[in-house]
Amino acid sequence: MSPLLFLRRVWAFVVRDWRLELSYRMQFFLRVLSILILVTTFFFVSKIFVGFADPRFTQWRDPFAAWLTGMAMLNYFMTGFSSLANAIRQEQVQGTLESVLMTPISVPTVIVASSAWDFVQATLFSSLYLVFGWLFFNVHYQGNYLLALAILLLTTVVLSCLGILSASFAMVFKRGDPFGIFLGTGSALFSGVFFPTQLIRDYAGSTVANISRVLPPTYGLDGIRRVLIEGQGFAQVRQPLISLLVFLAILLPLSLWVFSRAVRRAKREGSLIQY
Amino acid sequence: MSAALFPDDPSIRTSNGQPVVFVERISKTYPVPFQRLKKLLKRKFKPPVEAVRDVSFEVREGEIFGLIGPNGAGKTTLTKMIATLIQPTDGNVTVKGYDSVHDDVAVRRHVGLAGAEERSFYWRLNAEQNLQFFARLHGLSSFDSAKRISELLRLLQLEDSAKKRFAELSTGNKQRLSVARAMLADPPVLLLDEPTRSLDPLAAARMRAIIKSLAQDETKRVTVFLTSHNLAEVEELCDRVAVISKGEIKALDAPRNLRATHSDNERVSITFTVDDAEKVEAALREAFSTHSFTLGRSDVSAAWMLAFSRKTNDQTLDTVLRVLHRTNCLVKGVESERATLLEVLEHYEQPDVIGTESDSSSPDPSPAKEENPR
Repeated sequence: MSPLLFLRRVWAFVVRDWRLELSYRMQFFLRVLSILILVTTFFFVSKIFVGFADPRFTQWRDPFAAWLTGMAMLNYFMTGFSSLANAIRQEQVQGTLESVLMTPISVPTVIVASSAWDFVQATLFSSLYLVFGWLFFNVHYQGNYLLALAILLLTTVVLSCLGILSASFAMVFKRGDPFGIFLGTGSALFSGVFFPTQLIRDYAGSTVANISRVLPPTYGLDGIRRVLIEGQGFAQVRQPLISLLVFLAILLPLSLWVFSRAVRRAKREGSLIQY
Repeated sequence: MSAALFPDDPSIRTSNGQPVVFVERISKTYPVPFQRLKKLLKRKFKPPVEAVRDVSFEVREGEIFGLIGPNGAGKTTLTKMIATLIQPTDGNVTVKGYDSVHDDVAVRRHVGLAGAEERSFYWRLNAEQNLQFFARLHGLSSFDSAKRISELLRLLQLEDSAKKRFAELSTGNKQRLSVARAMLADPPVLLLDEPTRSLDPLAAARMRAIIKSLAQDETKRVTVFLTSHNLAEVEELCDRVAVISKGEIKALDAPRNLRATHSDNERVSITFTVDDAEKVEAALREAFSTHSFTLGRSDVSAAWMLAFSRKTNDQTLDTVLRVLHRTNCLVKGVESERATLLEVLEHYEQPDVIGTESDSSSPDPSPAKEENPR
């Protein structure tokens, strides 16, 4: 398939989902409002900690800025992780998967294209966390925005690999995806979204702290905060970048192999459209 | 199975077309999910469901091919295997030379499927937006898709519904939109599942005319694979019909050949006028010593209607006409009706027929199931 045709198809999915979103206007405005309320809440909570920051945690001198980057990135990462499986499940539940699969388009393309709108939305809503912080609460970010974007994209691609594994589970088992439970709840606790991961080592010991080391969002968040909050450059963020590339090298071939097996199995069982 | 699996009967009008769809010894058994695990855990599980068994046929360019059978016979599974949505357990399906498993994308480029499932559209988008989405997935440019959608909306008389949300369309219009979607990319093969099911009689007649014209159009020569429970429609439209029961093709031939092969009886009705009906009745009783007949007033005023069954080509009709002539009757009309496709279908659903024609190597055939439970 030519790249132009692929993009045309992705665009068709984006337009479709944009039109569907337009038919639920209220939901969009309520979500924007909820982000604003959440950002405002965290602003006031952060005021409790003024002057109490542990000097060991350089990224957390301003906990409000750390939380905003944490939530914005978590939102994006979770989209990368969950949107692929959600795309399959939503088409199955709507009953439209079969008609989409009747077009000359491969299953992987369907999944990638179906989740495209989720990324558009995630980009918008994740940006809103940062924009509201900057616009209403005087939070300033520094460093190389392009480098931060590169880390964000790399982390999202790594999480998308886990998302492909998750979509494979959705295809075969329909529900009960272990990756979702592990990453969804695990990332918020172990990846440093709301507090520094070093605290886990201090309070729960090194064995529990090692959990954060096997979660890709830990490295993504660390890298982005180093750039946006501490203003570090490429040389200083090499370590989280290398870790993410190692994750990618392992997960990409593994997830594609598992996914092709799952599609084959679902077609054999005739359960592709079941949920 | 009756003849004409691969048609060379010159009476079949489309037999000069090139074969487009090849179905070669395909079988489909839905496996038990996680069977080995269930065995290991000693959990009970239902046996695998054998939906289609060793089915072979071909469909030619420009042919309208019908598939009839009761619910659960395997029609949907067979259609979905041609459409690449389900993989066969054994055998091959090729469409325009492309294998349905290894070249599935290429097969879908040549096939349009109009199913009976209403939920296959986006209910909050309007009819036109739905078609636009699917047209783009078929790779049509913005300009081409707009032109094609406009043509199809006009052809299927959906212009007034173009801007209506799918949820607001009548059941018949939803059905028509499904056919429009199948035709978006102008595919050479159309798989139609009960295309007139929810249509009013006028719309149904128009749909049948459209289907006929697609197949007969010399520039397009669209091949139509039609599954339907409307046997009159199948008989009217189809060049050949396959009867499927318990996952097996029991017969495949032109409708009139099927009827002739599966029943050598015909019902004859004669309308006549006469002054002395009692005399006619007495003469008929004498002539019909071994046959039964009914004689009564016709709907036409002053006319009588005589009805009886006979073996095709026997002497009964000639005898009766002579009796009527001898008793001074004025014959107004003679109508004969051969077995219908319903009778053909019923024939194959009789337990002894299925028992004798099933594959003896499978002593315990699992019940065929058309759709998996969700």
